[in-house]
Amino acid sequence: MWLSGVTRVFGAVPALVRIDLEVLPGEVVLVRGPNGAGKTTLLRVIATALSPTYGRGRVLGFDLLRDRAEIRRRTELVGHRTRLYDALTARENLAFAAAAWGADGAGVGDALRRVGLAELGDERVGGFSQGMRQRVALARALARDPELLLLDEPYAGLDERARRAVAELVGRVRDRGGTTIVASHDPSGATMADRVLHMDAGRLLPEAP
Amino acid sequence: MTTIRQAALVAGKDLRIQFRTRFGAAALLPFAATLLIAFGLSLGPGRALLREAAPGLLWLAVLFASVLSFGQAYGSEVEDGALEGLVLAPLERAAIFLGKAAAVAAELLLLEAVVIALVVALFGLSIGARPLDLAAALVLGTVGLAAVGSLFGLVVAAARRGEALLPLLVLPLAVPILVAGTRATAAAASGGAGSWLGLLLAFDAAFVAAGMLVFGFLLED
Repeated sequence: MWLSGVTRVFGAVPALVRIDLEVLPGEVVLVRGPNGAGKTTLLRVIATALSPTYGRGRVLGFDLLRDRAEIRRRTELVGHRTRLYDALTARENLAFAAAAWGADGAGVGDALRRVGLAELGDERVGGFSQGMRQRVALARALARDPELLLLDEPYAGLDERARRAVAELVGRVRDRGGTTIVASHDPSGATMADRVLHMDAGRLLPEAP
Repeated sequence: MTTIRQAALVAGKDLRIQFRTRFGAAALLPFAATLLIAFGLSLGPGRALLREAAPGLLWLAVLFASVLSFGQAYGSEVEDGALEGLVLAPLERAAIFLGKAAAVAAELLLLEAVVIALVVALFGLSIGARPLDLAAALVLGTVGLAAVGSLFGLVVAAARRGEALLPLLVLPLAVPILVAGTRATAAAASGGAGSWLGLLLAFDAAFVAAGMLVFGFLLED
């Protein structure tokens, strides 16, 4: 995938400024930077949740602006907002997501087991801690096997077991030739990254040679 | 997956949430009943006046309660970013709109069954002459309301903290449904409601079509 001159402005505030980025298939890229650097906005633009104000790009070979449906079909964004319905159980949340993506939901039980929530799968997520909710969101990604995985602060509030689930998820995507971009200010992600990029004030800083 | 199956998936999810949160029984029904009693008290004890006003009171109670229902339908979508999940899911935008509208309509129809009983008991609404016309008026009016509410519920959800906007957006557009529903209900009690039912059907077609066309633009960034 590549981005060229991608800029995103919220009102008068630029969140991304002329981002040029190229990521190869199978690569794991860690994007680091302080709060407000634009990491989340970058991932949301790549996921097509946000449109760039200016600029263009291709993701998984599809045009960022014209082929949103194709990109979405192949991409999973795991953010700090877990996108779960409080009144539904963990299993129901995952089954809904699987059905929405046209899957039969057969992998839901296995995905919950991998994040250590098999026993709590029939509990409503409204009673879960933030860390448990993050694990359900990870299970949703595990159940899908996306070609492009976008992880936004994936280690926030996670215990050791859940961190292993993150590593497993990244490994599975890489084994299938998929690409992962992790946005985090936590240095833990550097160990599994092929490349570490730095952002600040909406700009991607030049890579060290 | 066909559009209908996608809509059923979204509607099923919303209905499950509505059932689990008991929003209808805990909030909508008490609200509608309180409104009816307040309307009745404000009109005084004259039985003839209450009976004459009954169709309008029924639709006012349904309309105001429906605004609460629209807000709740999107409340679950914004509480932890679930709406973004719908945006990113490969679901047809029209199917999401239809699913959300269907779930709201089902909830309102259940509410109306109880509200009608209240209006009959409190105000002496006659449902004897053409009960099928009355049922048709309620179904058609509810479909129109659900379509308007599902469209503007999204606008308000996307605006964040814009809950106060919802009645301002929905109520003016729902006035034709309120008028036609009231007239159709009154006509069903005395004779035929045919022309008013036709008008409600036309409103439904317009609002559902507009929702299916516009919803995707509103959903996207």
